[in-house]
This record gives sequence, structure tokens and C-alpha cells, in this order.
Amino acid sequence: MATDDGMTAPRAVSGQAPDVFRRGAWVPMRQYPDSEEVDFVIVGTGAGGGTLACKLAEHGFSVVAMDAGPYWRPLEDFASDEAEQQKLYWRDERIVDGDNPIDMGGNNSGKSVGGSTVHFAMVSLRFRPEWFKARTKLGYAVDWPIDWREMWHYYTEVEQALAISGPVSYPWGPHRPRYPRRPHPMSAAGEFLASSAEKMGIGWSSTPIATLSAPRGLAPPCVYRGFCVIGCSTNAKQSVLNTWLPRALDANAEIRDLAMVSRIEMGSRGLATGVHYYRDGRWRFQKAKNVVVAGYAVETPRLLLNSACAQFPDGLANSSGLVGKNLMPQSNHGVYGLVDQEIRWYKAPPSLSITEHWNYTDTGKDFFGGYAYMSQGPLPTAWAGSLTSSRGLWGEKLVREMEKYNHQVGLKIVGEVLPQEKNQVTLTDEKDAYGIPIPRITFSYGENDKRLYEHAVRFMSQQMEVGGARDLFVESDTAHLGGTAKMGDDPRTSVVNADCRSWDIPNLWVCDGSVFPTVGGVNPSLTIQAIACRTGDRIAEMARRGELTRRTTPA
Amino acid sequence: MPPDFWRRLTGTRTREPSRALTLTAPDRESIDLASYLPARLRKLDTLPERAAPLDAQTRVEVARGMNRGAGVLAGSVLFDSAIEHYRGGFHNPAMFFPLVSSTLSIIASASGVGDNTPSVRRERHVAYAAAAATGFAGLAFHAYNVGKRTGGFSWTNVFYGAPLGAPAALVLSGLLGVAAERVRDAAPGQRPRLYGMPESRAIAAVTSAGLAGTAAEAALLHFRGAFQDPFMYLPVTIPPVTAAMMAAVAVDGRPRKRPVTRFLLRLTAFLGFAGTGFHIIGVHRNMGGWKNWTQNIQNGPPIPAPPSFTGLALAGLSVLKMLERSRRE
Amino acid sequence: MSKDHPHADTSARYPDYDVLAKWNTPSWNDPTRAAVGQRLQVRDEPRFLSAERFRILKAVCDRIVPQPTDRMNKIAVAGLVDRMLEQTESVGYRRAEMPPLREAWQRGLDALNDEAKVRFGAEFTDLPAGRQDTVLELLQQGDVRSSAWGDLPAQGFFKHRVLHDITVSYYAHPTAWNEIGFGGPASPRGYVRIEANRRDPWEAEEKQGAVHHGD
Repeated sequence: MATDDGMTAPRAVSGQAPDVFRRGAWVPMRQYPDSEEVDFVIVGTGAGGGTLACKLAEHGFSVVAMDAGPYWRPLEDFASDEAEQQKLYWRDERIVDGDNPIDMGGNNSGKSVGGSTVHFAMVSLRFRPEWFKARTKLGYAVDWPIDWREMWHYYTEVEQALAISGPVSYPWGPHRPRYPRRPHPMSAAGEFLASSAEKMGIGWSSTPIATLSAPRGLAPPCVYRGFCVIGCSTNAKQSVLNTWLPRALDANAEIRDLAMVSRIEMGSRGLATGVHYYRDGRWRFQKAKNVVVAGYAVETPRLLLNSACAQFPDGLANSSGLVGKNLMPQSNHGVYGLVDQEIRWYKAPPSLSITEHWNYTDTGKDFFGGYAYMSQGPLPTAWAGSLTSSRGLWGEKLVREMEKYNHQVGLKIVGEVLPQEKNQVTLTDEKDAYGIPIPRITFSYGENDKRLYEHAVRFMSQQMEVGGARDLFVESDTAHLGGTAKMGDDPRTSVVNADCRSWDIPNLWVCDGSVFPTVGGVNPSLTIQAIACRTGDRIAEMARRGELTRRTTPA
Repeated sequence: MPPDFWRRLTGTRTREPSRALTLTAPDRESIDLASYLPARLRKLDTLPERAAPLDAQTRVEVARGMNRGAGVLAGSVLFDSAIEHYRGGFHNPAMFFPLVSSTLSIIASASGVGDNTPSVRRERHVAYAAAAATGFAGLAFHAYNVGKRTGGFSWTNVFYGAPLGAPAALVLSGLLGVAAERVRDAAPGQRPRLYGMPESRAIAAVTSAGLAGTAAEAALLHFRGAFQDPFMYLPVTIPPVTAAMMAAVAVDGRPRKRPVTRFLLRLTAFLGFAGTGFHIIGVHRNMGGWKNWTQNIQNGPPIPAPPSFTGLALAGLSVLKMLERSRRE
Repeated sequence: MSKDHPHADTSARYPDYDVLAKWNTPSWNDPTRAAVGQRLQVRDEPRFLSAERFRILKAVCDRIVPQPTDRMNKIAVAGLVDRMLEQTESVGYRRAEMPPLREAWQRGLDALNDEAKVRFGAEFTDLPAGRQDTVLELLQQGDVRSSAWGDLPAQGFFKHRVLHDITVSYYAHPTAWNEIGFGGPASPRGYVRIEANRRDPWEAEEKQGAVHHGD
């Protein structure tokens, strides 16, 4: 028998999908033939696509969700090893340019069923309510077409679905229901942020985080092994892979792993008819009444642009010209330093403590937007990467600095970057292994973005110093992506509406971080999932009212 | 273990086992606490007139029952503090104290359980008093430890900082042990007082407070565990009711039978052992299960903690026995 | 599986620590043993690069991550980089001005060697360590004279390929983990003591005062 490593051949075949909770085990899976016109084909199974697949299937629609990546069983497939776990990342070639080219790869994209939630840092934060009306209430960027109170409802749904472990009461923002699980014990790395924040006179909190602090079904609580961002081998991490997708399978959704979608096919009536995809050695075509693109901020515009046809020569859903535009990473600048204590930051989830002080304080800022920052705990090769890229160290100097690994502490922001049309994803002439054009990702910080991260670096450096850290250095980095298929109320200035439905093609939807009009100063995964939950409910409502283009009656 | 092991270990004298007493039919148990309590509270320090002094043999039996309770509590403390203080790396030498003290309390308790004589042993008394003192010191130390952490008495710190319940259990073991000696020691016909109250009421009050406190500790830690398993509600529902019933005993103090309270105490005693079983399963549900015991025995639910309920319930049953036996014939 | 586990060299800072001693403990699971076991087998022999380029790479590795002279089993850093190139076509992205991963390495090593010839009249591998460092420093500063660079940016090659790929390969090796006191693989067993100045019995014990030594 051939090796079943998940990467060589698809696993979700023959009416079964891998059981993520048991080694070598399977769960039954409904399958649909390519020729059957399913209600929804979803491209991507991450925070957007995976969550929506679950919601739509639970509403009774027939759903096929495809992912280019493997279908892992974490218990048997995940090593405690940075090099080996590179297999979770999207490592297909991309070209990066602009004044501040974005590091891709492991940083901000996943190639796995479950998407990048399989290796995300699990930080699960709600937006500040005012950000949904950033233009009206705070005077910058644009408003979202969704009211924060509606989002508050869907945030709760996601927090329950992921059994978020969080503080008994969260110190910022309006009331939210209690997190389903209690906070984790504080690590030395997290404690550094907490105690130094108190010295600075600002608030801090245990981070609401998607890893269990008490058992849940077959998932054990976190063992504080600290390899979160290269994949959790215990299932304590509540990713899309082990939360939404098992529910989706139960509700008769089909998940297709190792399925790379190249193009959305358009029919004569201006509606999408299905997707072309490559799986198990050949090209296929899945017919569908609705197509949902959920490939995140690079693959989503890439697919829409690559699906250009005679009727839509500039790519699908692109009458506004905004597909691929307004790409927003988040600034992810960090300050690192040395302390006498043994911190051993390789232990426990790295970001166990957080301050959202500068998300909720508007005075004393010379910039729009906000940022949160969290404690850090890079693994050895990631830390070597910081020392080489930020300080250019090599030779004896590098080796000596690396030896101080167990005494390092750090703070890193998730900072808001404002939308600019010149920051964008386009297609190059170079083709990948599937023959699909490789994307070019262009990014340059704007003036406001620079003022924001400079403020953050100044403030965090001060905090590091009062906290007793020395030999400080600054790292410039980015994290997360958004904005390349933004939602809005006006077809001229947005790609999709509040329901993630494209303005141009009524049976084409986009459901992932690309729909964000602004990214705020928090990690996006909770918001992406909340939007997916909302979209699922809205689609079910529209179907009931007969507002979908094709008759899709929930079973 | 030879039957005279504890006798030899503790130097107690041998005496024939006592003859079983014939029990009369149970009295009606008053449950109308609302109208009853206020009137009784004013007379807390008096024993109802109808109570008869206990004979020496009954006193020994009651004392042995309480020794048993104190011993189970001390055992729980010994294993719990051994694990927790190992986890803490014994970075403060004082962290050895509860191990020593609880061990002495166990030995004293074993000596008491094996001692069928009305004679009091000064060594036992000292061991128990030391346990109570160590427990009180531990309480102060643990409170200090929690308070000095970043965030002070925050939820996270009371969840994961030094627990207050463990040293409190050592205090209870000591108090019950001291009480056992006093009960055993009383001269025939005497109605001794303990902690400023008639003895039965005092022990009932200690038991009640102990059960309430232990239930509160379980509530805190099971809240930390988000009550992820429905069985986690058991120790926060049954023992508090038992504690209330024992509080009623402390207030009422009349010599009579209390079948409902007795049933609840027995249930609570059983719950203590069942809790250990649940916690063993709980450790198994952690990553790697029992194969990863070096981690999970420390990170999983505390296996030795639940029998604290058993120890307290055993003491409570002794109080009931006291009150039953002191009914006038 | 054999009860025997592989050994790695220990370090001055963590003299009693060998992360491989945990090979048969709950800290290591099967996928980890498979992945790291394969890495331990890698020798300093080329599979992807030509023998000539591999010799240059090996000399570069010796300067980027110098290893203690008394180390019994030196980490085969060049072998690890070569294996990465053999198995990987991309790390997920490249700067617009840079060629693809493999091409960057091939052209970069050639140009680096030619730079040594232009500057010092000798092959890079024949230069004394100090001169080799000078060549690498010139690359880091983008101060290159060899025409062999063509449109390959020397600075970009040094930062994104030489520094990144070599250090990432080195610090993926158990001997390097011993050097920095990293806990190493941890599944199913993670950690109990996560607060400052505390460690589990299965973590590296740091030699007292080591943090104050060195620079």
C-alpha cells in the first residue's frame, strides 16, 4: 500500500474522510458526483470557507468544499519540528514587491484542509465596535456595511463553537458573554507583558485563545508544548479542521482535499456554473448552483482574476476594478530583549497575555487605527530568522546571541494598516505547477501605517525597559491579510455586499478575510468566522425568500 | 499488617472490643429550619437539657471515628501537597512542612483508630495541634503567594496560584484530631466543651464549615474546568446540602436520630472516593493519558483531593453517633 | 523501535542536556522521530548542487554558523541546505528582483566564488577564515565587483538565501537545540512548569551564571 501521508493522494475519497481525532480512523462522508449540480461549491476550507461549509450544510444545502491542501490527522501527522511542519504552509511560489514586500509562506497562509487555522496562533479577538464605522465614528478609511451588534451575536456563536478559553471578564469593549472556557495559567513570557504593563499603568489581560483549558469530547486540554504555530499535534487547538469541519461532515457536506481550483466557469446567463479543479492526477469540473470563493486575500483575487472570460475580461466580480486592490496586511512589529530570569519562551501558547490598550484609547495617538500587542515565544529557527533578518547577525555573534534563547522576551503588535488601492494582488506571466499564473503581491506602508508602528515600537520599547529587559532590538514584520475583495454598500466601490455576495454575479460569493474593508488592530480569524456564520444564516434566509438565483431549497 | 501493628507503633493499651449497642427507632428529624434556627441560635452555647452524658465506650467509638476522618483528610493533604509542592519544585523549604505534618497526623490518626481505650495520648494531641498550626501557616502563605502575583487576587491567580483548600484541609484534620482526643478524654458523666461550645456542636460546626469550604474549593476548580463534565456538578451540589444539614446539627444539637443527615454524610463520603475515580479518568483524558503520567498527574485533575469530603463526612457521622447515643433512654 | 536513541553533542551552557535522550520518552512522538531521524542521517554530501558548488556552500556554512572545534559530530549544515534544495522549489515567495530558490543558490554560489577571485585572487574555499568573512561582509553590504552577479542582487542573495537558509538548517538540528537549551520536541508530553525560573525535569538545566558570560 502506498504511503498515506496525506500529501501524495487525496484522503477524503470512497465515502469517507479522515477522523481527525483518531489515528488511522475514518468518518463517513457524503459524496457528490462532479455532474451533480450541488447547491454550493466552496473554494477553500479555512476560517471563511470551512465555517461557511458547516453553516450551509447545517442549513440543509448540498455542499462541496475544496482545498488545495492535505486532510491531516494531527495526532499521527504532526511532528514537533519546525522544518517538518513547513508542510502546513502555502509554499507555492509568489512574487512579492513594493517598498515593503510581504514575507509569505508560513507567515500568513496555510495549505491544509482547515486553512491557516491549522497553524494559527489561536488569538481570538473581537473587533472594537467603532471599527465597523471607522469613517463615521473615528474619521478614517471606510465603514463596514454590517452593524457591530449583529457581529457581536456572531462572535458569540464562534466563541462557543471553538470553546474559546478566555478571561472571566474581558477588560475592553462592551459586554460579551463569558468565554466558554477559563483562561490558561500564565507563562513566563506572558507574565512579562502583564507585569511590565502594570508598571506602565495600562491594562492587560489573559488572551482569549482557541485552545482548550479543559477537555472537550475527544480533544484533550492544552499541554503547553508551545508548537502552536506549526500545528497542534494534540487537537487541543480548536481549528476549523477539528471544529467546523466534523460538524460539516455530519451535516452531509463533502470535503475534497488536494483539490486545486484554477477557474470559475461562467454560463451564458451571466451566472457561474461551477469550477475547474485538479485532483488525483486530472482536471475535473464540478457543477454548482453557487460558487463561494474562500481562498484568502491572495488566492481569492487570483482565482477571480484568472477566471476572466469574454463576458468579464477583467476578471469576475470586478466591475468596480477593486478585485485584488486594497490589500492590507497587519503591521507585526516587535521589540525583543534580554532578561536575567529563565523565561524559556518555547513553552505554552506564545501569546497568552495581551493588551488592547491602544485599540481602545484614542488620546495620545498621532495616527488613525489601533494596535494590540501580545507576548511572544518563537521556536528556534524562527528566532534565528529574527536575529538574521533584523540584525544581520552571523558567525560567532549569531551563535552567542542564540545561546541566550531561554532569557529572551518580546512583545509584538497586530497593527491596523489602512487600505490603499496601490497595494494589490495581480497576476504575473509566470505559471505554477498547475499552469495557473503566479500572483504578484505589491505592498508599501502608507504614512499613517508608519506612524502607527513607530508609536507602537516606542511604547513597547519603553515597556520592555521598565519591565527590566535590556539589549532591545526591533523587528519589522507583517501578519495576516485582508481587503482584496472588499464588502460595501455600493457596487462602484466594493466587490461584494454585506452578505458576501458579489455585486456583478449573483451566484458568486466571497467569504474570507478579503472582504474586510478595514482590518482593525486584532487578529482576523474570529471576525472571518463570524462573517462566515452570518453569511450562512443570510443565505438560508435568502433561499427561504426565493432570493437566490437558482432554486436551492434546503433539504 | 499484623493486628497489633498500630498498637505497637503507638504504644496504646489493648482492650476488648466494645459490645454493640442496641439502637432504638429513629426520632423524627426536624426539617423546619426556618422557624427553628433563630430561637436556637441564641442558645448556641448550651446543650439541650434532655442530653445524657456519654459513657466511656461510646466516647472511644466516636473518637475513633473522628480519628478516621482526620486521618483521611491528612492522607488527602499528604498526597496532594506532595504532588503540588513537587510541581513547585520545593523551591521554599517550608513546602516540606505539610508533608511532614500530614504524615504525623496520619500516624496519630492510625494510632487513635487502633486505640480502644479512653486514654488520651499526648503525642497524638501534639501531632494534631501541629497539623492545625501548619495548616494555618499554609493558609497565610498561600494567600500571600496568590496576592503577590501580577494581578493580585484575580481569577487566573486563584485558579492557578497556591490553593487555599489544601492547607485548610490540614487545619481541619488537626482540629478534628484534637477534638477526637478531647472526646476520648472526657471524664465519665462530664459534658465537655470544645472551642467554646458543647463538643458535639463544635465538631458539627467544624464539619459543616469544612464541607462548605471544600465544596467551595471544588466549585472554584470545577469552574476553572468549565464544568466540562456534568459529574463535575456533584461536589458542588451534594456536599453543600450536607454542610447545611451539619450546620443545623450545630445549631440544634439535640440528641436524636438524623437519618437524612446520615444518608447525606454517607453519600458525601462515597462521593469523595468516587471523585478520585473521576479524577483518574480525568488524567486519562489529558494528552497522552496515563502513558504521559509524569505530566498529567501534575496538570490533570488532582487525584488525592476529593477524599477530603470523605474525611469530613466520617467526622460528621461520628457527631451523629454522639448525639444518638446521648439520647435519654 | 530500538531502545537505543541517537546522541548529540552537548554544550557548555547546558552541559548535562541532550535533547536526544528524550527520544524514547513521551516527549517524542512517531512523526517527530521520523522527521528528526532522517535529518540525523544527512551527511555533508551533495545531492542537488554540483560538487564544486557544494564545496563553496560548505565553506560558507562554516563561517555563518561556526561550530565548536571539540564538537564530535558536527552538524552537516551544507548537507541540510542541499537536501532542502533537493526537496523544495520555493519557500512560498520570492522578491521580485530575485530568481527562484534553486537558481538563486546556483548563481549566487558561483558569483560568491568569483567575488573571492576578484577580490583576493583565490577560490573562496582556499581563502583563510578572515578573508572569507570579508567576502561575506562585502556581500552583506552589497559591495560587490564580480560581473558574475549579473542581475542577481548580492545583498538579497546574502540576506534571503545565505543567512536564512543556512541558519534555519542549523537550528533545526538537535545539537543546536542542545546549544541553546531548547526543550525540543514535546508531544504528547508538553510542560507543567511554565512560569519564570522553573523547569520540568525533562528540560535543560542551565549552568549557573551562564547568562552573564560572553558579550
